[in-house]
Amino acid sequence: MGLVMPLSVCTFSGFFKSFTSPIHVLIPCSEVTSVICGTLHSVDQYLNIKLTDISVTDPEKYPHMLSVKNCFIRGSVVRYVQLPADEVDTQLLQDAARKEALQQKQ
Amino acid sequence: MFRYESLEDCPLDEDEDAFQGLGEEDEEIDQFNDDTFGSGAVDDDWQEAHERLAELEEKLPAAVNEQTGNGERDEMDLLGDHEENLAERLSKMVIENELEDPAIMRAVQTRPVLQTQPGSLNSSIWDGSEVLRRIRGPLLAQEMPTVSVLEYALPQRPPQGPEDDRDLSERALPRRSTSPVIGSPPVKAVPIGTPPKQMSVPSFNQQILCPKPVHVRPPMPPRYPAPYGERMSPNQLCSVPNSSLLGHPFPPSVPPVLSPLQRAQLLGGAQLQPGRMSPSQFARVPGFVGSPLAAMNPKLLQGRVGQMLPPAPGFRAFFSAPPPATPPPPQQHPPGPGPHLQNLRSQAPVFRPDTTHLHPQHRRLLHQRQQQNRNQHRNLNGAGDRGGHRSSHQDHIRKDPYANLMLQREKDWVSKIQMMQLQSTDPYLDDFYYQNYFEKLEKLSAAEEVQGDGPKKERTKLITPQVAKLEHTYKPVQFEGSLGKLTVSSVNNPRKMIDAVVTSRSEDDETKEKQVRDKRRKTLFIIEKTYSLLLDVEDYERRYLLSLEEERPALMDERKHKICCMYDNLRGKLPGQERPSDDHFVQIMCIRKGKRMVARILPFLSTEQAADILMTTARNLPFLIKKDAQDEVLPCLLSPFSLLLYHLPPVTVTSLLQQLMNLPQSAAAPAPSNPHLSAVLQNKFGLSLLLVVLSRGEDLQSSDPASESAQSNPWTEVMFVATRELLRIPQTGLAKPISIPTNLVSLFSRYVDRQKLNLLETKLQLVQGIR
Repeated sequence: MGLVMPLSVCTFSGFFKSFTSPIHVLIPCSEVTSVICGTLHSVDQYLNIKLTDISVTDPEKYPHMLSVKNCFIRGSVVRYVQLPADEVDTQLLQDAARKEALQQKQ
Repeated sequence: MFRYESLEDCPLDEDEDAFQGLGEEDEEIDQFNDDTFGSGAVDDDWQEAHERLAELEEKLPAAVNEQTGNGERDEMDLLGDHEENLAERLSKMVIENELEDPAIMRAVQTRPVLQTQPGSLNSSIWDGSEVLRRIRGPLLAQEMPTVSVLEYALPQRPPQGPEDDRDLSERALPRRSTSPVIGSPPVKAVPIGTPPKQMSVPSFNQQILCPKPVHVRPPMPPRYPAPYGERMSPNQLCSVPNSSLLGHPFPPSVPPVLSPLQRAQLLGGAQLQPGRMSPSQFARVPGFVGSPLAAMNPKLLQGRVGQMLPPAPGFRAFFSAPPPATPPPPQQHPPGPGPHLQNLRSQAPVFRPDTTHLHPQHRRLLHQRQQQNRNQHRNLNGAGDRGGHRSSHQDHIRKDPYANLMLQREKDWVSKIQMMQLQSTDPYLDDFYYQNYFEKLEKLSAAEEVQGDGPKKERTKLITPQVAKLEHTYKPVQFEGSLGKLTVSSVNNPRKMIDAVVTSRSEDDETKEKQVRDKRRKTLFIIEKTYSLLLDVEDYERRYLLSLEEERPALMDERKHKICCMYDNLRGKLPGQERPSDDHFVQIMCIRKGKRMVARILPFLSTEQAADILMTTARNLPFLIKKDAQDEVLPCLLSPFSLLLYHLPPVTVTSLLQQLMNLPQSAAAPAPSNPHLSAVLQNKFGLSLLLVVLSRGEDLQSSDPASESAQSNPWTEVMFVATRELLRIPQTGLAKPISIPTNLVSLFSRYVDRQKLNLLETKLQLVQGIR
């Protein structure tokens, strides 16, 4: 799925664009936390996440999620996002953040 | 008051002063009169003037009302006229064209206009300026100037009642007089989200007089006389009587089943707005922007859920729950108006979003995954991909009570905004991570291909459209004849809110602990500074290629200067010191990102500078090893060091070996223990570095015939000591080196006998077979 998101807003937008394999998103609900695993569809400047083909790691605990295939998650409730390590280049990410910081200073 | 008619009649008196005073007063009063009322005040016939003005006022509203063809006039209309005049006058006074704000216009002009007919119901301020001008033209007798800043939300025209045989295209144009801007659509008085009133006759008698700025209000042209507000939430829908969500889907007055032909006739010729279609449908069909509307109708009327059915005669708008007339959810392709459905199908079988803006490598990866997923689904379903897909699609639509909350126009508006944000003048800078990541991937795959014999994939380069950055100078809105400027801040002219002043703390009252902490902070700060320099220097190659011929020497100088700065930062050059202490460098090397940075900087330094760094590292290696216990980042330094070694002269290599092994200066007296060496050998990096140094020394030795013969070679001497030390070191806890150079056996064979050679080999695991 193609990702559409603003370029100049944040380094992490470009970072999220580069993913192709499924990611895990850990979300806290009011009482419980649930891990939703899915393919990243899009991200916006608030880091709201749209996932497709989702699966819940603990279906017995959250049976209501069985029928849900795509979801939109508000960025503010996400606690962690677990990304496939081999798709992340941390050095490059650091450089991107540094460049952006430089740009903002100028 | 005056006894005399004029001053001249006044007889002169002894009381000259008094009379003169009076005369002066007269003059003053006359002067005041003239000033206030002007010389024409007496001449003008105010009655005539009033009539003239009154005629003018009547003309304008009449002209506008003709256009609407609306016979009803409430008392609201008069009020509206007055406002409209005021607004018109205001609009004449405004100098700048607010709609030329690039934040809006660019977005609007990039998309095709859905309704191309001027004066249509659907024109809105989001249409391009061409449409607006077209609309203005035929409607106006006189040319209206620019758009006003204020837009009045004025009452909608009253509902039309049952539309029975009214063709939408015959309907007269909406009353333009409701908005101050001729040519812009009428704006709904009822704000968004207002719960709907009773089904019978909603009255829009409220009038909202507050002006609203242009940008904020999305337009809501009256699509149909909806007894339901267009923006009813599902909860509101449920509470409305006669809603199909509760009862049967069709009101009894309507025949439950219509053939496609009948449906087409009902709506045929009607000016169907795209908003009547299921927006969710449109959302799933990108690029399918309103063109073959007629083709869509029969399909829509088959009762796909979530649609607002168009108010054909007798219908009232409602959300359709699954109507009994719907064909059962098909496992196979449903029967229907064949050609139309087929059209739709061919246009959008699967939701395939636009991937043209992605890097080709990324696109390839995505399509691979899509293929995989599709294959999986195909295997799972068994009934065929399309069928299964369609049935889930149908289910999805049927159960979707949240459809139609937004009009298609509004959705386009939002996507326009998002697309605007994608425009970039310098994608390399703005999207650094993405671009570089996929470049690296491509390089990797290219390198692999070079090694292998596989077919060459096309090495497509990502070419992103680059938008030239237009300088839009924002000119604030001014009114004629006013003093000063409005202080209005908009998105293009932001106002400074907070004046933040940076104050630096004084160093006097800090305690020792703080100083220690600050030292680390200072080191971190220096590292970041050096990192910025490093990123710049790494970027120079690209800039060099992009620059002109004349600029290149300047670029090179800049680059050299930056490299010198980097080195100074690393070594901590202090004035007055001939040889800088190692302390500064060691501090940097204690921090993980400092080590990585040094590894990246090394290739840019000159040989002497780099050698200096290497020596300092070797000197302080045990300390660094101790600090690196947690991070284990030192091995990243190995490859730049190895590369460097190949440029070093033999003398340097010799002294380096000495430093590394902490060899005693004189060969004669061996030290009791060599903790330095043990520490080095027990560390992966240390051992690897040592082996590389030895190997390099051996290469130099063997390649240089002159030194081979000479026995009193510093290298030879050092080697003797080195081998002795190595033999002394216990084997326990020796690390596993990253790589083992191949010429070490031959190296050691020069200096030790066979037995000791075997010992060394075993200890250092020099021979591959032993491992």
